[in-house]
Amino acid sequence: MSLAERMLKIDRRIIFLVIGLCTLLPLLYPVGLPIRISSEVRGVYDHMESLPERSVFLLSIDFDPASKPELHPQAIALLRHAFRKDLRVIAMTLWVSGTGMAEQLVTQVAKEMGKEYGKDYAFLGWSPGGQAVIINMGQDLYSAFPSDYGGKPTKDLPVLDGVRNLKDVAYMVSLGAGRPGVEEWYVFGKDKYKFELGGGCTGVMAPGLYPLLRSGQINGLIGGLRGAAEYESLIGQKGKAVAGMDAQSATHLAIIVLVIICNVFYLSLQRAARTQRQIG
Amino acid sequence: MIFLRRQLPLLITLITGLLFAAQYYVPHPASEQMLTSATKWLQIIGGFALILGVTSLFHQHAVKIRRQEAGWGYSLVLYAGMIGTIAVGLWANGKESVDGAMTAFGWVYNYMMVPLQGTMFAILAFFIASAAYRSFRAKSREAAVLLVAAMIVMMGRVPLGEYLIPLSGDVSSWILNVLNASVRRAILIGVSLGAVALSFKIIFGVERSYLGGGKE
Repeated sequence: MSLAERMLKIDRRIIFLVIGLCTLLPLLYPVGLPIRISSEVRGVYDHMESLPERSVFLLSIDFDPASKPELHPQAIALLRHAFRKDLRVIAMTLWVSGTGMAEQLVTQVAKEMGKEYGKDYAFLGWSPGGQAVIINMGQDLYSAFPSDYGGKPTKDLPVLDGVRNLKDVAYMVSLGAGRPGVEEWYVFGKDKYKFELGGGCTGVMAPGLYPLLRSGQINGLIGGLRGAAEYESLIGQKGKAVAGMDAQSATHLAIIVLVIICNVFYLSLQRAARTQRQIG
Repeated sequence: MIFLRRQLPLLITLITGLLFAAQYYVPHPASEQMLTSATKWLQIIGGFALILGVTSLFHQHAVKIRRQEAGWGYSLVLYAGMIGTIAVGLWANGKESVDGAMTAFGWVYNYMMVPLQGTMFAILAFFIASAAYRSFRAKSREAAVLLVAAMIVMMGRVPLGEYLIPLSGDVSSWILNVLNASVRRAILIGVSLGAVALSFKIIFGVERSYLGGGKE
């Protein structure tokens, strides 16, 4: 077996080791390369900046713990920004398995920013029905969520004063890891109830949402850990996303190098086979 | 009986389909009230669907355990996990914490579900790298184009890539915003037209597979 053949059939544990080291080493020894801000992320940031104080900001945390590494930093950065701008924050989720995580993250950031439950923010929790919840919220928010996550009647929450349905929301961001997520919030929410919508998603989902972004159906998109790192840089509070960018840089580079190596050996094998055929 | 099995469901589908398609364009309070009631019902049905799903899962795995089919041990683990979680969930009234103190349900969620799901997703990075090494080969001209585009986007999406090749960020952004968005949009339009056509077929009773088979 030639070197090229051996290299093409390399033990996958070696690849796992390379990826493991490329993830671990930058986390232990961070480099901190500068992060360029994209227009997609700036779209969300600029709209948040333009909102007047006490505007209603709805954050739908539509992911479960599987997507936590990418979307949790996005949610934290958005909540910090919203609380700093003194917006009224309403958080909720369309993913039942993300309810506990969503409640913890909202409570944690609110506590850090010195916000009061009921007056400055509320967590509505989860309600069954997926997109039906969106339509129901568009018709009557109190019908979709008669009580919040803690069981308090939503009608008694001062943070919801003047809010009847989705039309009264100044800005809404869905951080989605699948369905229901950003697309459903556009199709069943924004399209009918005409509120401003922004999105956040995992890295693999981002290319699929670009058509919504380019047509203005969403006014910004925070894509993956990179998007979260950009948002953290914009609000000037660097967190887990910025810390993880070095590891992501190294793993991306490692995969590119691996693919190039694989193709060099593959093409050399093809060439050798062609030469042999010509001789034969 | 045929009327109840065939004609009546088709009639309900026709009436509700046309009614709710028209509802979108009628902002009258009565029309909006109808939508509110219908979506409330959808939410209630969604809750029952959850119960149905869990019951079906229990039944399927109970059969596997009873017959001791291959992998029945995993079904036992699933049973233990589900019953345990439901029990502690009911005990804690579905709350992860009460007055700042973590409940048993919160413990299961935070120390079992969160790390397990996170691990599953994290493992993907290793398999993707291995799969990319084995299968991402320039076997044809089209595959080579895909390969180059993927490498540019991968470089342009991380700070190190932009540092090594400053142009990669802009090129990556162009690929995503122009090439990717236009192709995705074309696919979306195609899928949407297909969905509209299928909806019409269902509303007018041409497509009847949702009624299921069985005796007439």
